[in-house]
Amino acid sequence: MAHNWQPDFEQLVDQHQSMVFSIALRMTGDRGLAEEIAQDVFMEMDRNLTRLESPAHACFWLRRVAVNRSADALRRRKVRGMDLWVEMEDVHGAQPEERSSPLSTRLEQLLATLPEAQRAALVLRYQEDLSPEEIAATLEAPLATVKSHLQRGLKLLRAKAQSHLKEFVRGN
Amino acid sequence: MGTENEDEFERELRQAFARRPAPPSLKRKLMERGVLKMKRAAPAERSFVPWQRLAASVAIAAVLAGGIEWHSLDQRRKEEAAREQVFLALRITSHALDQMNARLAAHHRGGQDSQY
Repeated sequence: MAHNWQPDFEQLVDQHQSMVFSIALRMTGDRGLAEEIAQDVFMEMDRNLTRLESPAHACFWLRRVAVNRSADALRRRKVRGMDLWVEMEDVHGAQPEERSSPLSTRLEQLLATLPEAQRAALVLRYQEDLSPEEIAATLEAPLATVKSHLQRGLKLLRAKAQSHLKEFVRGN
Repeated sequence: MGTENEDEFERELRQAFARRPAPPSLKRKLMERGVLKMKRAAPAERSFVPWQRLAASVAIAAVLAGGIEWHSLDQRRKEEAAREQVFLALRITSHALDQMNARLAAHHRGGQDSQY
Protein backbone atom coordinates (compact mmCIF):
# COMPACT_ATOMS: atom_id res chain seq x y z
CA MET A 1 0.00 0.00 0.00
CA ALA A 2 1.46 3.37 -1.01
CA HIS A 3 1.53 6.10 1.62
CA ASN A 4 3.83 9.08 2.02
CA TRP A 5 3.85 9.31 5.80
CA GLN A 6 7.24 8.53 7.35
CA PRO A 7 6.63 7.45 10.95
CA ASP A 8 9.09 8.72 13.52
CA PHE A 9 9.33 5.97 16.12
CA GLU A 10 10.60 8.14 18.97
CA GLN A 11 7.94 10.75 18.34
CA LEU A 12 5.25 8.06 18.37
CA VAL A 13 6.59 6.72 21.67
CA ASP A 14 6.60 10.22 23.20
CA GLN A 15 3.13 10.91 21.93
CA HIS A 16 1.42 7.65 22.85
CA GLN A 17 3.32 6.07 25.77
CA SER A 18 0.85 7.47 28.29
CA MET A 19 -2.11 6.09 26.32
CA VAL A 20 -0.61 2.63 25.85
CA PHE A 21 0.56 2.42 29.47
CA SER A 22 -2.83 3.59 30.83
CA ILE A 23 -4.77 1.09 28.72
CA ALA A 24 -2.51 -1.74 29.90
CA LEU A 25 -2.67 -0.51 33.51
CA ARG A 26 -6.47 -0.39 33.57
CA MET A 27 -6.81 -3.70 31.76
CA THR A 28 -4.40 -5.54 34.09
CA GLY A 29 -4.38 -3.46 37.26
CA ASP A 30 -0.63 -4.02 37.58
CA ARG A 31 1.89 -1.21 36.98
CA GLY A 32 4.82 -3.55 36.40
CA LEU A 33 2.90 -5.73 34.00
CA ALA A 34 1.46 -2.64 32.27
CA GLU A 35 4.98 -1.32 31.67
CA GLU A 36 6.07 -4.68 30.23
CA ILE A 37 3.02 -4.75 27.97
CA ALA A 38 3.68 -1.16 26.84
CA GLN A 39 7.26 -2.13 25.97
CA ASP A 40 6.05 -5.15 23.99
CA VAL A 41 3.47 -3.02 22.17
CA PHE A 42 6.12 -0.51 21.08
CA MET A 43 8.51 -3.32 20.10
CA GLU A 44 5.72 -4.75 17.96
CA MET A 45 5.09 -1.32 16.47
CA ASP A 46 8.79 -1.12 15.62
CA ARG A 47 8.47 -4.35 13.63
CA ASN A 48 5.34 -3.08 11.84
CA LEU A 49 6.39 0.53 11.36
CA THR A 50 6.21 0.40 7.57
CA ARG A 51 2.59 -0.75 7.71
CA LEU A 52 1.43 2.35 9.56
CA GLU A 53 -0.22 4.69 7.10
CA SER A 54 -0.92 7.85 9.08
CA PRO A 55 -0.72 9.29 12.62
CA ALA A 56 -4.40 8.37 13.14
CA HIS A 57 -3.74 4.82 11.96
CA ALA A 58 -0.76 4.56 14.34
CA CYS A 59 -2.95 5.66 17.26
CA PHE A 60 -5.72 3.23 16.28
CA TRP A 61 -3.17 0.42 15.86
CA LEU A 62 -1.55 1.12 19.25
CA ARG A 63 -4.91 1.08 21.05
CA ARG A 64 -5.90 -2.22 19.50
CA VAL A 65 -2.57 -3.91 20.17
CA ALA A 66 -2.46 -2.54 23.73
CA VAL A 67 -5.89 -4.03 24.49
CA ASN A 68 -5.02 -7.36 22.83
CA ARG A 69 -1.62 -7.69 24.52
CA SER A 70 -3.18 -6.84 27.90
CA ALA A 71 -5.81 -9.55 27.37
CA ASP A 72 -3.07 -12.01 26.38
CA ALA A 73 -1.09 -11.14 29.52
CA LEU A 74 -4.13 -11.63 31.73
CA ARG A 75 -4.87 -14.98 30.14
CA ARG A 76 -1.25 -16.04 30.61
CA ARG A 77 -1.30 -15.14 34.25
CA LYS A 78 -4.75 -16.59 34.81
CA VAL A 79 -5.25 -14.23 37.69
CA ARG A 80 -8.47 -12.41 38.37
CA GLY A 81 -8.38 -8.59 38.16
CA MET A 82 -9.15 -7.85 41.82
CA ASP A 83 -6.44 -10.25 42.97
CA LEU A 84 -3.97 -8.39 40.80
CA TRP A 85 -4.83 -5.03 42.31
CA VAL A 86 -4.58 -6.32 45.85
CA GLU A 87 -1.42 -8.24 45.12
CA MET A 88 0.41 -5.86 42.86
CA GLU A 89 -0.33 -2.32 43.96
CA ASP A 90 1.97 -2.65 46.96
CA VAL A 91 4.80 -4.13 44.92
CA HIS A 92 4.62 -1.77 41.95
CA GLY A 93 3.45 1.38 43.70
CA ALA A 94 3.37 4.55 41.66
CA GLN A 95 5.67 7.49 42.28
CA PRO A 96 4.02 10.15 44.48
CA GLU A 97 3.53 12.52 41.53
CA GLU A 98 1.91 9.74 39.49
CA ARG A 99 -0.59 8.73 42.17
CA SER A 100 -4.22 9.38 41.42
CA SER A 101 -6.95 10.46 43.83
CA PRO A 102 -8.38 7.85 46.23
CA LEU A 103 -11.69 7.87 44.32
CA SER A 104 -9.90 7.25 41.01
CA THR A 105 -7.92 4.41 42.53
CA ARG A 106 -11.04 2.80 43.97
CA LEU A 107 -12.92 3.13 40.67
CA GLU A 108 -9.96 1.57 38.87
CA GLN A 109 -9.95 -1.26 41.39
CA LEU A 110 -13.65 -1.83 40.79
CA LEU A 111 -13.10 -1.68 37.03
CA ALA A 112 -10.54 -4.48 37.37
CA THR A 113 -13.25 -6.75 38.81
CA LEU A 114 -15.40 -6.50 35.66
CA PRO A 115 -15.28 -9.11 32.90
CA GLU A 116 -12.45 -8.45 30.45
CA ALA A 117 -14.62 -7.48 27.46
CA GLN A 118 -16.65 -4.97 29.51
CA ARG A 119 -13.46 -3.57 31.01
CA ALA A 120 -11.91 -3.04 27.56
CA ALA A 121 -15.04 -1.30 26.29
CA LEU A 122 -15.23 1.00 29.35
CA VAL A 123 -11.52 1.88 29.19
CA LEU A 124 -11.81 2.83 25.53
CA ARG A 125 -15.02 4.78 26.23
CA TYR A 126 -14.01 6.72 29.34
CA GLN A 127 -10.22 6.87 29.09
CA GLU A 128 -9.91 7.26 25.33
CA ASP A 129 -13.28 8.97 24.82
CA LEU A 130 -14.10 6.76 21.82
CA SER A 131 -17.59 6.35 20.40
CA PRO A 132 -19.18 2.87 20.42
CA GLU A 133 -18.48 2.66 16.67
CA GLU A 134 -14.80 3.46 17.19
CA ILE A 135 -14.61 0.93 20.04
CA ALA A 136 -16.18 -1.70 17.78
CA ALA A 137 -13.56 -0.97 15.11
CA THR A 138 -10.72 -1.08 17.66
CA LEU A 139 -11.85 -4.34 19.23
CA GLU A 140 -12.96 -5.82 15.89
CA ALA A 141 -16.30 -6.63 17.48
CA PRO A 142 -19.89 -6.08 16.32
CA LEU A 143 -21.34 -2.72 17.34
CA ALA A 144 -24.27 -4.36 19.15
CA THR A 145 -21.85 -6.42 21.24
CA VAL A 146 -19.84 -3.34 22.15
CA LYS A 147 -22.97 -1.41 23.13
CA SER A 148 -24.05 -4.35 25.27
CA HIS A 149 -20.62 -4.51 26.97
CA LEU A 150 -20.74 -0.78 27.64
CA GLN A 151 -24.26 -0.90 29.05
CA ARG A 152 -23.68 -3.94 31.23
CA GLY A 153 -20.22 -2.82 32.33
CA LEU A 154 -21.47 0.61 33.32
CA LYS A 155 -24.42 -0.89 35.19
CA LEU A 156 -22.21 -3.32 37.06
CA LEU A 157 -19.61 -0.67 37.86
CA ARG A 158 -22.29 1.70 39.11
CA ALA A 159 -23.74 -0.98 41.35
CA LYS A 160 -20.31 -1.81 42.74
CA ALA A 161 -19.53 1.88 43.25
CA GLN A 162 -22.79 2.37 45.14
CA SER A 163 -21.99 -0.40 47.56
CA HIS A 164 -18.21 0.14 47.86
CA LEU A 165 -17.75 3.89 47.53
CA LYS A 166 -20.38 5.21 49.90
CA GLU A 167 -17.84 7.32 51.76
CA PHE A 168 -17.01 9.25 48.58
CA VAL A 169 -20.66 9.73 47.70
CA ARG A 170 -21.37 11.07 51.18
CA GLY A 171 -18.23 13.21 51.06
CA ASN A 172 -19.42 14.91 47.87
CA MET B 1 -30.57 6.00 39.60
CA GLY B 2 -31.77 8.58 37.03
CA THR B 3 -30.18 10.10 33.96
CA GLU B 4 -28.67 12.94 35.97
CA ASN B 5 -26.92 10.46 38.28
CA GLU B 6 -25.76 8.47 35.28
CA ASP B 7 -24.23 11.56 33.73
CA GLU B 8 -22.60 12.47 37.02
CA PHE B 9 -21.22 8.95 37.39
CA GLU B 10 -19.93 8.91 33.82
CA ARG B 11 -18.29 12.29 34.39
CA GLU B 12 -16.59 10.88 37.47
CA LEU B 13 -15.46 7.89 35.42
CA ARG B 14 -13.93 10.18 32.77
CA GLN B 15 -12.02 12.04 35.47
CA ALA B 16 -10.98 8.86 37.23
CA PHE B 17 -9.90 7.23 33.96
CA ALA B 18 -7.77 10.10 32.67
CA ARG B 19 -4.55 8.85 31.14
CA ARG B 20 -1.75 8.26 33.63
CA PRO B 21 1.79 9.35 32.72
CA ALA B 22 3.96 6.46 31.65
CA PRO B 23 6.88 5.73 33.98
CA PRO B 24 10.16 7.26 32.71
CA SER B 25 11.68 3.77 32.81
CA LEU B 26 9.47 2.75 29.84
CA LYS B 27 11.35 4.94 27.36
CA ARG B 28 14.69 4.13 28.99
CA LYS B 29 14.04 0.40 28.62
CA LEU B 30 13.06 0.84 24.98
CA MET B 31 16.36 2.68 24.47
CA GLU B 32 18.23 -0.11 26.26
CA ARG B 33 16.63 -2.60 23.88
CA GLY B 34 18.04 -0.52 21.03
CA VAL B 35 14.73 0.23 19.37
CA LEU B 36 14.66 3.99 19.85
CA LYS B 37 18.24 4.63 18.76
CA MET B 38 17.87 2.48 15.66
CA LYS B 39 14.61 4.04 14.60
CA ARG B 40 15.92 7.55 15.09
CA ALA B 41 18.39 7.05 12.28
CA ALA B 42 16.15 4.98 10.04
CA PRO B 43 13.98 7.70 8.45
CA ALA B 44 17.04 9.82 7.71
CA GLU B 45 18.76 6.84 6.11
CA ARG B 46 15.70 6.00 4.07
CA SER B 47 15.28 9.53 2.72
CA PHE B 48 18.95 10.34 2.15
CA VAL B 49 20.38 7.10 0.82
CA PRO B 50 19.46 7.80 -2.84
CA TRP B 51 20.91 11.31 -2.53
CA GLN B 52 24.02 10.03 -0.86
CA ARG B 53 24.48 7.40 -3.53
CA LEU B 54 23.99 9.94 -6.30
CA ALA B 55 26.39 12.41 -4.67
CA ALA B 56 28.98 9.68 -4.10
CA SER B 57 28.67 8.50 -7.73
CA VAL B 58 29.09 12.05 -9.04
CA ALA B 59 32.08 12.64 -6.76
CA ILE B 60 33.75 9.36 -7.79
CA ALA B 61 33.10 10.08 -11.48
CA ALA B 62 34.53 13.60 -11.09
CA VAL B 63 37.64 12.29 -9.32
CA LEU B 64 38.14 9.59 -11.97
CA ALA B 65 37.63 12.04 -14.84
CA GLY B 66 39.98 14.53 -13.19
CA GLY B 67 42.58 11.81 -12.65
CA ILE B 68 42.39 10.63 -16.24
CA GLU B 69 42.58 14.20 -17.54
CA TRP B 70 45.52 15.02 -15.29
CA HIS B 71 47.25 11.79 -16.32
CA SER B 72 46.82 12.52 -20.05
CA LEU B 73 47.99 16.14 -19.57
CA ASP B 74 51.03 14.94 -17.66
CA GLN B 75 51.72 12.38 -20.37
CA ARG B 76 51.43 15.06 -23.05
CA ARG B 77 53.75 17.34 -21.08
CA LYS B 78 56.31 14.56 -20.76
CA GLU B 79 56.07 13.74 -24.47
CA GLU B 80 56.51 17.43 -25.29
CA ALA B 81 59.57 17.66 -23.03
CA ALA B 82 61.05 14.49 -24.57
CA ARG B 83 60.43 15.83 -28.08
CA GLU B 84 62.07 19.15 -27.09
CA GLN B 85 65.08 17.25 -25.76
CA VAL B 86 65.37 15.23 -28.97
CA PHE B 87 65.13 18.40 -31.08
CA LEU B 88 67.72 20.10 -28.90
CA ALA B 89 70.03 17.10 -29.21
CA LEU B 90 69.50 17.09 -32.98
CA ARG B 91 70.19 20.83 -33.15
CA ILE B 92 73.35 20.40 -31.08
CA THR B 93 74.46 17.49 -33.24
CA SER B 94 73.65 19.40 -36.43
CA HIS B 95 75.53 22.43 -35.14
CA ALA B 96 78.50 20.26 -34.21
CA LEU B 97 78.45 18.60 -37.63
CA ASP B 98 78.26 21.99 -39.33
CA GLN B 99 81.28 23.16 -37.36
CA MET B 100 83.09 19.94 -38.19
CA ASN B 101 82.25 20.35 -41.87
CA ALA B 102 83.42 23.96 -41.84
CA ARG B 103 86.74 22.96 -40.23
CA LEU B 104 87.18 20.11 -42.65
CA ALA B 105 86.40 22.40 -45.57
CA ALA B 106 88.84 24.99 -44.25
CA HIS B 107 91.47 22.34 -43.71
CA HIS B 108 90.85 20.96 -47.17
CA ARG B 109 91.07 24.41 -48.69
CA GLY B 110 94.35 25.11 -46.80
CA GLY B 111 95.84 21.89 -48.16
CA GLN B 112 94.96 22.74 -51.72
CA ASP B 113 96.40 26.28 -51.38
CA SER B 114 99.73 24.95 -50.17
CA GLN B 115 99.83 22.48 -53.11
CA TYR B 116 99.52 25.20 -55.70
